[in-house]
Amino acid sequence: MAPALRVNAVSKTYARSESPALTPTSFDVEPGQFVSLVGPSGCGKSTLLGMIAGLITPDEGSIEALGELVTGPGNGRAIVFQDAALFPWLTLERNVEYGLRAHGMPKAERREKVAHALRMVHLDHVADKHPYELSGGMRQRASIARALVLDPEILLMDEPFSALDAQTRTLLQDELQRIWLETRPAVVFVTHNLIEAAFLSDTVHLLSSSPGRVVKTYDIGIPRPRDEADPALLDIRHDMLERLRAEVDDAALRRAEFAEVTEVGA
Amino acid sequence: MSADRLKSVCWDIVRKGWLLALLMFLWWLVTAAGWADPYKLPSPGHVLSTLGNLFTERALLDDLGATLLRLVEGWAIGVTAGVLLGLITGGSRFLEDGIRPVIAGLQAVPTIAFLPLAILWFGFNGTAVLVITAFGTFKPMAISTYSAMHQVSPTLMMAGRAMGARGLFLQRTLVFPAIVPNLVTGLKLSWSFAWRALMAAEIVVTGAQGLGGVLELGREIGAIDVVIAVILVILVVGIVTEQLFFTRLERWVNRRWGLTGAR
Repeated sequence: MAPALRVNAVSKTYARSESPALTPTSFDVEPGQFVSLVGPSGCGKSTLLGMIAGLITPDEGSIEALGELVTGPGNGRAIVFQDAALFPWLTLERNVEYGLRAHGMPKAERREKVAHALRMVHLDHVADKHPYELSGGMRQRASIARALVLDPEILLMDEPFSALDAQTRTLLQDELQRIWLETRPAVVFVTHNLIEAAFLSDTVHLLSSSPGRVVKTYDIGIPRPRDEADPALLDIRHDMLERLRAEVDDAALRRAEFAEVTEVGA
Repeated sequence: MSADRLKSVCWDIVRKGWLLALLMFLWWLVTAAGWADPYKLPSPGHVLSTLGNLFTERALLDDLGATLLRLVEGWAIGVTAGVLLGLITGGSRFLEDGIRPVIAGLQAVPTIAFLPLAILWFGFNGTAVLVITAFGTFKPMAISTYSAMHQVSPTLMMAGRAMGARGLFLQRTLVFPAIVPNLVTGLKLSWSFAWRALMAAEIVVTGAQGLGGVLELGREIGAIDVVIAVILVILVVGIVTEQLFFTRLERWVNRRWGLTGAR
């Protein structure tokens, strides 16, 4: 079967920056596969996701989504941002409906799909609330519903849980696992949380910074549904940490990554 | 409970009214003590009785009505035109590059400077005054609109585009609602510009019924009490519209757009 997503030697160097944000990077994502990009700040993981989303243009290389060259957003890809990025003037229902309206779907059909998406994230009871009336976790669930309602074959998630408290984060990780098992889109999930990446993914690409690159790829063969306290996951996390430490070769970098490591090490 | 409520209302009045009360007292003191020439500064009581006479004998209510009607008309026309031009301007780089400096230049000229032109084109009548009011409204409204379009959150724009919104749909369903809180600020600003343009124009174009004409009449016949009475009327209208309309509108929009009261 053709891959859902083919990332073909893409690279990016931002203006006024000495080292590349991302050196040429390639990988495939199979249909229904859950892939994480994990690493410290500045490793190019968000740049990579932006390129896959069609919001950032690579300097070199190309990306194919569902067999078509990516030149902009859309085409079977939906994205979930770090801050839910809901439209504050719309109710949750209307927020979730937005993408369907943009695609010109008739009203009756929209209503049904929106109701289904809201049920999937357990927000059907607050469908008529505005985003400001909801907690951060609920907002992020709504933004997941907003992506799912488009029936994406590729779901892109840019640190979707990093602004949430630890308990909410764990709940949402479980919920995402369940939703993914039900709907099975291909997922590209960006995070700096190593255990989160290992818990959710089939494959984890570990990235390092200066220059941004993939330093190791992990295939996580643990059967689902998984438990976050699974010792096998902790072993993988340990190996990732070791790997990241080995990458640290100058003092400035060590300081930058220490901050990351303490953040994810909790 | 209701005693507490009464107490808080009273305190509210004290908090917001103390300076006004002090100023009124000083005004009264200066006139009562005979320190001021009554021809240049009549007493508060005198002004109030003049105000009463103006309403009963000169039908000031009609002038007030004519002025308010012109204000609302001119403002509504100016707001509509300003928002439309602002949206067009902000919607394209090419249009913006051309239109922006022209509007900014026009805004640098006091609106009243265009009155002679308006009189020549539309006559020495209410139409010229209305045109000037609309024009005074239009400029700040257009500027508020296209400036706001640059401040739409990039994340919201990305989210909208990623969901497939583009072109006119994107403008109508994302950009326009996103700038509404800024537009409310623009509405307030342009309202005050409309008032200024309107008063200045009415003072000159005395043929048209309106408060400006009464002000000018007061100056002509040397009736300073009439002038101050009309100023008080304008002041009250300003406070009432601010409190009854703009403050409420702003509060509603800020709440609905999640700018206040967020958890």
